[in-house]
Amino acid sequence: MSAQILPVADRAQVRAYARRLTLKYPGTLSAALGLHSLAAAAGLVVPWILGDLVQDIRNGTRTDVTMVALAIAGFLAAQGVLVRFAVYVSSRLGEKVLAELREEFVGRVLALPLSTVERAGSGDLITRTSRDVDTLSRSVRHAVPETVIALVAFAITAGALVLTGPLLVLPALVVVPLLWISTRWYLRRARDGYLRENAAYADMTEGLAETVGGARTVEALGLQDRRRRRTDTDIARSWAAERYTLGLRMVWFPAVEFGYVLPIVTTLLAGGVFYMQGWVTIAQVTAATLYMQQLADPLDRLMSWIDELQVGGASMARLLGVAEVPDDRAEGSDTPEGEELRAADVRYAYREGHDVLHGVDLVVRPGERLAMVGPSGAGKSTLGRLLAGVHGPRTGSVTVGGASLVELPLDDLRGHVALVTQEHHVFRGTLRDNVLIARPDADDDQVRAALEAVDAWEWTVGLPEGLDTMVGSGGEAVPPAQAQQLALARLVLADPHTLVLDEATSLIDPRAARSLERSLAAVLDGRTVIAIAHRLYTAHDADRVAVVEDGRISELGSHDELVAAGGSYAALWSSWHGRPVGTDTPRAG
Amino acid sequence: MRSLPVADPGVPDARSPFRYLLWTARSQAGSLLVGIGYAILWWTAMALVPAAVGRSVDAVWNKDMRGLLIWSAVVFGLGAAQAVTSTMRHRMAVFNWLSAAYRTVQVTVRQATRLGATLPKRVSTGEVVSVGNSDIAHIGNAMDILLRGTGAIVAIVTVTVILIGTSPALGLTVLIGVPVMAVAVGPLLRPLHRRQHAHRDLQGELSTRAADIVAGLRVLRGVGGEQIFAERYAEESQKVRHAGVRVAAVEATLEGAQVLLPGLLIAGVTWLGARAALSGEITVGQLVAFYGYAAFLISPLRTLTEAADKLTKGHVAARRVVRILNLRPEVTGGTGTSQGGLLRDVASGVAVRPGVLTAVVSAVPEESAAIADRLGRYTDGDVDFGDVPLDSLPLDEVRRRILVADNEAGLFAGSLRDELDVTGAASEEALARALRAACAEDVVEALPDGLDAAVAEAGREFSGGQRQRLRLARALAADPEVLVLVEPTSAVDAHSEARIAVRLAEARTGRTTLVCTTSPLVLDHADHVVYVEDGVARAQGTHRELLTENAAYRAVVTRGEEEPVRPPEPAGVGRGNPGEEAA
Repeated sequence: MSAQILPVADRAQVRAYARRLTLKYPGTLSAALGLHSLAAAAGLVVPWILGDLVQDIRNGTRTDVTMVALAIAGFLAAQGVLVRFAVYVSSRLGEKVLAELREEFVGRVLALPLSTVERAGSGDLITRTSRDVDTLSRSVRHAVPETVIALVAFAITAGALVLTGPLLVLPALVVVPLLWISTRWYLRRARDGYLRENAAYADMTEGLAETVGGARTVEALGLQDRRRRRTDTDIARSWAAERYTLGLRMVWFPAVEFGYVLPIVTTLLAGGVFYMQGWVTIAQVTAATLYMQQLADPLDRLMSWIDELQVGGASMARLLGVAEVPDDRAEGSDTPEGEELRAADVRYAYREGHDVLHGVDLVVRPGERLAMVGPSGAGKSTLGRLLAGVHGPRTGSVTVGGASLVELPLDDLRGHVALVTQEHHVFRGTLRDNVLIARPDADDDQVRAALEAVDAWEWTVGLPEGLDTMVGSGGEAVPPAQAQQLALARLVLADPHTLVLDEATSLIDPRAARSLERSLAAVLDGRTVIAIAHRLYTAHDADRVAVVEDGRISELGSHDELVAAGGSYAALWSSWHGRPVGTDTPRAG
Repeated sequence: MRSLPVADPGVPDARSPFRYLLWTARSQAGSLLVGIGYAILWWTAMALVPAAVGRSVDAVWNKDMRGLLIWSAVVFGLGAAQAVTSTMRHRMAVFNWLSAAYRTVQVTVRQATRLGATLPKRVSTGEVVSVGNSDIAHIGNAMDILLRGTGAIVAIVTVTVILIGTSPALGLTVLIGVPVMAVAVGPLLRPLHRRQHAHRDLQGELSTRAADIVAGLRVLRGVGGEQIFAERYAEESQKVRHAGVRVAAVEATLEGAQVLLPGLLIAGVTWLGARAALSGEITVGQLVAFYGYAAFLISPLRTLTEAADKLTKGHVAARRVVRILNLRPEVTGGTGTSQGGLLRDVASGVAVRPGVLTAVVSAVPEESAAIADRLGRYTDGDVDFGDVPLDSLPLDEVRRRILVADNEAGLFAGSLRDELDVTGAASEEALARALRAACAEDVVEALPDGLDAAVAEAGREFSGGQRQRLRLARALAADPEVLVLVEPTSAVDAHSEARIAVRLAEARTGRTTLVCTTSPLVLDHADHVVYVEDGVARAQGTHRELLTENAAYRAVVTRGEEEPVRPPEPAGVGRGNPGEEAA
C-alpha cells in the first residue's frame, strides 16, 4: 500500500538470527527437548507391549493381562505428565524469547535515523510493529513449539521403528520421494502465496476500518456505492489470493495424505510376507504397524505448521530489516564554538536531479527571531529541516558555531537545535509524562513553567487529575491545538539555544496562537527562533523575515523594510491587513 | 465452488447473535452441507482404518496371503478415500470460512454506509476495527467447525456401533468413557479462558503502546526520550510474557490431560480386549483394532472440545456485529421537495443567500461548525430551504444538494483521481479547475503518477496543509448547489491562502456558498459576512464595513494585531535590537 522505505532482511540474515536465538538458552532448550523426547518415548512403549501381548497369545504363554493393562495405563499416564511439563517448559522459553524479540525490535525502531523517520509516511513501520509482531508471536507461540514437538516425536518414533524391525522399515521408504518432491514443490510457491494472501486480507480489513472511520464523509459525498464496490473488489482480490494457496494445497494435501497411509500398507504387506518366511515375529509386525500409524500424527503436525513458519519467517525478515537502515550521521571531530547558525550555498534534492533548494545562503544571528514565509512547495520546510540538522545538504554546508550539524552526535545536536513541526502526537501516559519526554529529571515546577509558557497551564489544571491525567490513545482526549501546545512545552523544557518551529502553532485558534507566541517569546528570550509560519502576524512580530520562493530566499529583512520595499511580502501584507494597495491580489510566488 | 464475494449479501437477521450465526449458516447452506458431507466421509474413512488393519493382522496371523492382499488393499482404499475426502473437506472449509467472513464484512460496510455520520458518534473506531481484525475470523471459525464437528460426532457414533457389534462390554466402556473424558477436561477450560482473556488484554495494550511509539517517533527522535519509552515498553512486554506463561500453564495441563485421560481408556479397552482375546472370544486382529479405536477417538474428542470453544467465540463475535447492525441513523428525512433558494438557520439567524458567497465569522470555531452541521442537516435543527423546512426533504437529496466539507473529512485509499472526483463524472478540465482553485496543483505535480498516483490510507503521506487543499479541491469538484466550507484554509500558508481566497470566489461565482472562517484574506472576497457571537448573528455586511463598524469583529479577524505588541518604535529603527527599545 504505502511506499516501502525500510529494508527487509534477506534469508541468510533471518536464518543466522533464528539460529542465534535458538541457541541462546541451551539449558532450557535441552530440558524442553529432553522432556518432549521422554514423553514421545513413553507413548511408544504401548505398541511394544501390545506386540508382546499378541506374541504371548500366539505362543500360548500365560500372561497377566491386568499387569499389561496397568503397564499401559502407567506409561500413558507418565506420557501425560511429561507432556504437561514439556509444553510448559517450552512455552516459558518461547514467551521469554518472544519478549526479547519484540523489545529488541522496538529498541531498533527507537534508534532509527532521524532522516528516515522524518521522511513522509510511517505506514510501513506501523504495519511492521502491529501485523508483523503479531504474526511472529503466533509463530513463536504455536508454530515453532508444534514443529519442534513433531520433529522430536517423528525422530523417536522412527527410531523405535528401526529398533523393532529394520527390515520392515525399508519398504516404507518409498514414500520419502513422494513427500519430499511434493513438499518442495509446495514450499517454493507457498511463501509468496501466503504473503499475498495476508496482504489482501489486511487491505480488506483496512478498507472496512476506513469506511467506518470516514462514515460521515461517505454520507456527505454520497460515496456509499463506491465504498460498497471497493469492499467487494477487496474481497474479490482476497478471494483470488486465497484460491491460489488453496490450489497449492489441493495438490500437496493428497500427496501428503497418501504419504501417511502408504507406509502402513507396505508394512502390513511386507510384514505378512516376512512373517510367513519366518524372518520376523508377529510381535514385530504388530508393533511396526502401530508405529507406522502413530507416525502420521507428527508428520501431520509438521505439515500443518510449515507454512505458518514461513510466514513467520517473512515477518521476522521485515522486523530485522529495521536494523539494516544505515546510520545517517557520521560523527565529525568539530565542536561548535558559539551559537551562530549558518547555511552556505545550500542545495537539496529529495529525488536526484530535482533540487528543491537552489543555493540558499542564510546567517541566523544568535538570539534573533527569524520568520520564514512563502508559498507551499517553495522549500521552507526543507530549509527548516536542514537548519535543524535532520537532513544534510546535497552541496554547501549548514553549521552551528562552525561545526557541521549532521556531524554532531544526536544528543549534542538536540542541545543545540530542535525542530517542532505541524505533526504532533500525544503519547499514552500522564500529561506530565508527555512534557517530561525531553528532560525526565525536571520537577513539577519546571513542568508548570513550561506549560505556562505555552498558555497550557490553564486547561491543564482544568483536567480531572491535572498533571496526572491520562492522555493519548485511550485516555482523555487532547484536541490538536492543545497537542501543539504540549509539543512546544516539551521544547521549552528541553531548552536548546535554537528552535525551528515549522507551522508549530497552525492548529491553534488564531487569536490564542498569537498570545501563545508572545508568551513563548518571553520564555525563549535570548534563544534563537526560526519560525516557518503561515500567519503573517508571526512575521510581523519577528525580528527579520525571509521570504522563500522557488527554493531561494527572495527577500530578507525586517517587516518594515520589506513592506517599504514593496515586493511580494508587501503585497501579501496589505491584502492580509485589509488595506488596498494598488492591487487586490498578492503576486503569486 | 462459486466465486466470492456474492453480489448481494442479503438482509441479515440481527435479532440476536445466535440468529445472526444461523442466518450466516443458512445463507451458505448448500456449501455448508456439501462440506459436512465430505467431513463425514473423511472421518468415517479414518474410523474404519483400525478395523481393516485388524483384519490384516488376522490374515498375517493365519498366514493367509490372499486375505492379507485383500485387507491391505482395503487399508489402501480407505487411505485413498481419506486423502480425497480430506482435501475436499478442506476446500469446502476454506470456502465456508471465507463466505461467512466476507459476508460479515459486506453487511458491516453496507450498514456503515447506511448509518453515515451517526456511526462515529455511537461506536468507537476501535470497536469496529476489532470487527475486521478478529470478529470476522471468529465467525468464519464457527462455520468451519460445523464441518469437522459434525464429522467428529458421526465418527464417534460409527466407532461405538462397531465396538458394540463386536463386544457389548467394550462398546459400552467406550460409549461411557468418551463423554466422561470430554467432561473431565471441562474444569480446566474456565481458568484457561480467563487467563487467555487477561493475556489478550495485556497484549492489546502492548500493541497500542508500540503503535504509540511509532506514531510519535518524530517527536521522540527529535527531542529525546527514547530510553524512557524503551524501558516502559519492556516493562509492559514482560507483563505480557508473564501472562503468556500463565496461559501456557493451563494449556500444558490441558495437553497433558488430553493424553492421560484417553490413555486410561486405552488401558481399559486393552485390558478387556486382551481378556477376550485370551479366551478366544475375539481375534488378535480385533484386539489390535480395539487399541486402534481407543487411540483414534482422541482426535474426534479434541475436535468436539475445539467446537465448543469456537462456537462460543463465534457467538461473542456475532454479538458485536449485531450491535452495529442494530443501530439506526439519528437524522431522517421526509418526502417533500424544495425549489431551493435561501438556506436559513433559524436558531442563529444565519441566512445563506442563493448565488452568493457568504461567510460566517465566530471567535469560537465550534459555534460556526454547529451552524454548518444544522444547515447540512447532520444534526436536527430549525432550518428552511427556500420555502420549506429542510427536514421535510429526503436525506439523500439534502446530501446531494448541500455539501458540508469540514476538516475532519476523511481521505480514502485509492487513486487520487477517484479521490477528487466523487461523482465519477467530472471532466479532466473540471478537476484541473478545482485543483487550481484549491491551490493544490503542486501536490499533484509532485506525485510521480500525477492524478493516477495511489493515495495511502487516510492520505497520511500528505502533510496537513496538503490534505486540506485536496479536501477543498474534492468539495469544489463535486460542485454542489450549496457548498458549506468549514475553516477551509486553517492549515495552509498565507501565500496559498491569499490565492485560494481569490480563486474560491471565482470558482463559486453564481453558486451558493457558505464559508466558516476568520481569515481576513478569505473574508475580503466574500460577498456577505455574518458575525456570530454566542451562537447568534450579531452583525452583517461586507468585510470592510464590519471591519470599520464593529470592534468585536475587528478583534476576531485581525487577531488582536491592532493591539500594540511593543511600545511604538521610532520610525526606521529595526526591530531586531531589544536594547534600543529600552533606550
